[in-house]
Parts: sequence; structure tokens; C-alpha cells
Amino acid sequence: MAVIGGAETPARKAKWALLDVVVVVYALVPVLWIVSLSFKTKGTITDGNFVPREWTLDNYQEIFTTTEFVRALVNSIGIALIATLIAVVLGTMAAYAVARLDFPGKRALIGVSLLIAMFPQVSLVSPLFDIERALGLFDTWPGLILPYITFALPLAIYTLSAFFREIPWELEKAAKMDGATPAQAFLKVIAPLAAPGVFTTAILVFIFAWNDFLFAISLTSTERARTVPAALSFFTGASQFEDPTGTISAAAVVITIPIIVFVLFFQRRIVAGLTSGAVKG
Amino acid sequence: MLTPSLPAPTATKPRQPPAPRTLTAGERWRLRAPLLPALVFAIALTQVPFLLTLYYSVQSQNLLRPGSKEFVGLANYGKVFTDELFRNAVFNTVTLTASTVILSMLLGIGLAVLLDKKFLGRSVVRTLLITPFLVMPAAAALLWKTSMFNPVFGLVNWMLSPFGVDNVDWASRYPMPAIVGVLVWQWTPFMMLIVLAGLQSQSPEVLEAAKVDGANAWQTFRRVTLPHLRQFIELAILLGSIFIVQTFDAIFMITQGGPGQATTNLPYFIYQQAFRAFDVGEAAAAGVIVVVATITIAMVALRVISNLFTEESA
Repeated sequence: MAVIGGAETPARKAKWALLDVVVVVYALVPVLWIVSLSFKTKGTITDGNFVPREWTLDNYQEIFTTTEFVRALVNSIGIALIATLIAVVLGTMAAYAVARLDFPGKRALIGVSLLIAMFPQVSLVSPLFDIERALGLFDTWPGLILPYITFALPLAIYTLSAFFREIPWELEKAAKMDGATPAQAFLKVIAPLAAPGVFTTAILVFIFAWNDFLFAISLTSTERARTVPAALSFFTGASQFEDPTGTISAAAVVITIPIIVFVLFFQRRIVAGLTSGAVKG
Repeated sequence: MLTPSLPAPTATKPRQPPAPRTLTAGERWRLRAPLLPALVFAIALTQVPFLLTLYYSVQSQNLLRPGSKEFVGLANYGKVFTDELFRNAVFNTVTLTASTVILSMLLGIGLAVLLDKKFLGRSVVRTLLITPFLVMPAAAALLWKTSMFNPVFGLVNWMLSPFGVDNVDWASRYPMPAIVGVLVWQWTPFMMLIVLAGLQSQSPEVLEAAKVDGANAWQTFRRVTLPHLRQFIELAILLGSIFIVQTFDAIFMITQGGPGQATTNLPYFIYQQAFRAFDVGEAAAAGVIVVVATITIAMVALRVISNLFTEESA
């Protein structure tokens, strides 16, 4: 597929390489700029230099000494992990049913989960706010975990059933013939095969919960449950007149690097997860 | 992120002839059982609040005036439809979504074609290109605002300074293009990934045949690749639109819907009505309208797309 029209001459190669560089620069400049800002001192942050003239770790030190950020980080990690765990367990069961079992009303059930996937989140925020306040869930971990699970479920079911369709299910039949119950066949034979798909789904769900801003800003009010995206919107410098760009940059680097490392390690899986389900074949 | 490809028929079990009819009610429920927890959970958490939204939407309720709650019928809907701010929000939503989807799709196709070539370090480049999609949107928005659009030391002005642009405050002078710029940067990787999957599913023989028949690269792309990509592009547009319509972080962080109401889209409008103006009734009515509109449009779009899918496989 590499050669669509003509041979790979050195000139062509050079042209593509140049195009490559342009593209990478386009995608990366903002990201690198953030990294650069996070290492600049307060005095040089406005100098517009791409490479910091004076390197400093002050910004990082500052965010890790303010409880505001550390607490938000703990909330974010805890909430996203718990939501991911529950959503993946429920999603696995559901995807198994979707991919494997034939039963009356399956299409209708799938249709319902489709509708939920499209439900505009913003139209639920204000009633959720009231419900959670009435139930005492407002500004708590479960108060965010519950909506995250809900909106992650369609994503989880969808990605997982794409993976599950590619599993050699004859093995399951063989296990059943050997006398295993459906539950045993699932746990002992299929689950190990499904693990990579489940893992990929977990990463995607985690990123979804990790990135959410709308629920985080409306369903929390204090540091008790405020996650990083919401905390960022309250980020200001030490004084009103101090520009918070440096600390915001440092915070952005801290919360983005783990995700990028994740993706570097599991990139093939994630790309497959995003696309294999999205399109047949 | 659900697609029409989900209900793939699983005809793996050798069907005993009378299969569907001999299932007892109990057996049917046992087969459904694994799906139920997810479904019950999702329905409870979306439909209970939605019923509450419906209820709010026929009440006049302003949190600033306690005890002001009363049944007003469809008055809130009337208020929403005659509200100029609402119409403005609809208009902004359409502008924002359409420009973002179109621009990021064009860029996405370009990048996908590029990544479809083999070259040194392709997988590294691909990862780097996906990065904008993975940066936390709230953080990305905040940084675009403070470090890219800043009139004094923003990178945008710095890069445009050779062209005689200086000290433009992008977020307040050109709020809509600024927001669209951030969203395009963020969504291009998503479009690219789906188009790339389409490109890689194309059979090399067809391309070879086109070449043998004397088509040049552009003709091959135009007449062979593009029709093949059509379903992928449509899918990406549908999924992208559903998410981009709901954009909230970027607007909250960069412009707060302003200046004035210049970048207030529907989600931000509803949020503002409920959490800033405390007009719960009108916010709820607007919410119901958005739900109905989203689902209608999505259903129509889905039908179109699933028709395409079946035509393709037929």
C-alpha cells in the first residue's frame, strides 16, 4: 500500500519526511510549549522563549505542596479507578450477552443502551444535583462514581463486544461438553482470552472518567471530592496578581504524562479498541 | 460510542429447529441476566433524573425565590423558544459543531493518508499525533487560554508575529474561531484514527488494479479510496458530532460563554440557567428539548448509516 503512484525515489521520501515533520510539529508544539512553561521561572514565563532560559522545578514543588492539587489528584485517581472497575465488570457481563447469547428482545435492549450513550449529559446535571443533595451524595466520591459508571457503560459494552466477537468461542463449547457450567466455561476458558480486550476497555473508561469536567464541576463543592479538572478551574497564583500559568502547566504535565505513557505502552491495543469496534472488519 | 455494527448476528450456535419457541420464560431471563445489571443501572441513573427534568420543566421554580414553585404547564417551553439567548445558543452550537467537525475531518483525512504510508518511525508519529486527544480537555483548554491565546506572551501571536500580527487577544476578539481551533486540535486525532482504520481495510489488489488501469495517485484516491472511506467518514462524523455538541469544558475554561453570549452553546446555556441564574424550570425545559433533538438527529443519522452498512455487505 506504500506505493500508490510511482516508485519510492529519494526525493519522494524526503517530501514525505518533511510533511511528517510539519505534522508532528503541529500536533506537538502546544504540548511541548506546556512542558516548557512548566519549567520556567516566574520571571521568565512571559519571555516567549521556546526553551526555558532558566530551568526550575519550583512550579512542580508548588503544586505538590498545595493540598488543593494533591487532594484533587487523590480524588481523581480514586474515583476514576473505582468507576472503571465497576463499569468494566458490569460491561463485561453485558457485552458477553450481546456478543454471545441469542435471546428475544436483544435488539431492543441494545437500542436502549444506544440511547443512553447519546443522552446529553448536561440535561441530567441539575436533577442529579438535587437528587444527590437529597441523598447526601453531593460532594462525595460515590456522587461522581455513579454517573461515571453510567456514561462509561455504553462505551465499555461497545468496545468489549467488539473484542468478544473475535474470541474463538468453540473453546467454550468444548468446555461445556466436558461438563463445565456456562459460568465455569466463561471464567476458566473465555476470561483469560478476553483479558486484553477488558484491559483496553478499562484504559478507555479510565480516561473518560479522568477527563470529565461537567459532572466534576457541578456535583462537587469542596476539596472532599473535587477532581483535578474541576480543581484546575480554581487554580490561581499565590496572589491575585500572580500569573498561574507556570503552576497550571506543571499540573497539566503531571496529569497528562501518565496517560501518554499508558498509550505509548498499549498503543496498538488502544487504537484497535477505538477503531476495531467502530468499524466492521 | 456505540455504532450500528453492535448488533452483529451471532449465528454460532447450531440452532435446533424449534429453538426460539421452546424457551421458557425462566430460560429467557437467564439468557438476559448478564445484560441486566448494566442496563438497570444505566436506566436508573439516566431515566430517574430525566423524569425529574421533565417534572421540573413544567414547574416554575427559581432557587433565588424560595417557595416560588408552582405548576405552569408548558410555559417554560414557550419561554425557551422565545428566549433570544436560547436561539443564540442553538446557533452557536450548530456553528461550533459544524466547523469543528468539518475542519477536523479534513485534517484527519490528510493525516490518515500520510500515516498510511510506510516510513521510519511511523508508530511513534502516530502516537504523537494521538496525544492531543488524550490531554485532559479541561487542562488543554486552560493552557490554550493562558499560554497560546494570551495577547502578550501567547504562542499564537508569537508564531504570527512575522506576518505583522501583534498582541491580539484571541479569546475575546475572535472567541468562536479560538474555541473551534482548540476543538479541532483536540478532535483531529479521533477522525484520523477512524479514517486510518478505513484506509488500512482497503484491499491492496483494488489499488493495484487501479494503477494497472493507468490511474494516477489523485484519481485513485478520488475514485477508489474515497468511496471506500465513505462509511468510515460518516461514522466518524456522527460520533464526533455527538460528542462535540456536548462541548462544555473548553467554553467554561476559555470564554465562559462570552464575550457577551458569543460562544454560549447549548450545554453552557443550560448550565448557566440552572447553576448561575437558578432558573431551574427554564433550564429543565431547554434540557428536554436538547435530549429530544439529539436523539432524533442521532436516530436519523444512525438509520442512514446502518442502511449504508447493509448495502455494503449485501
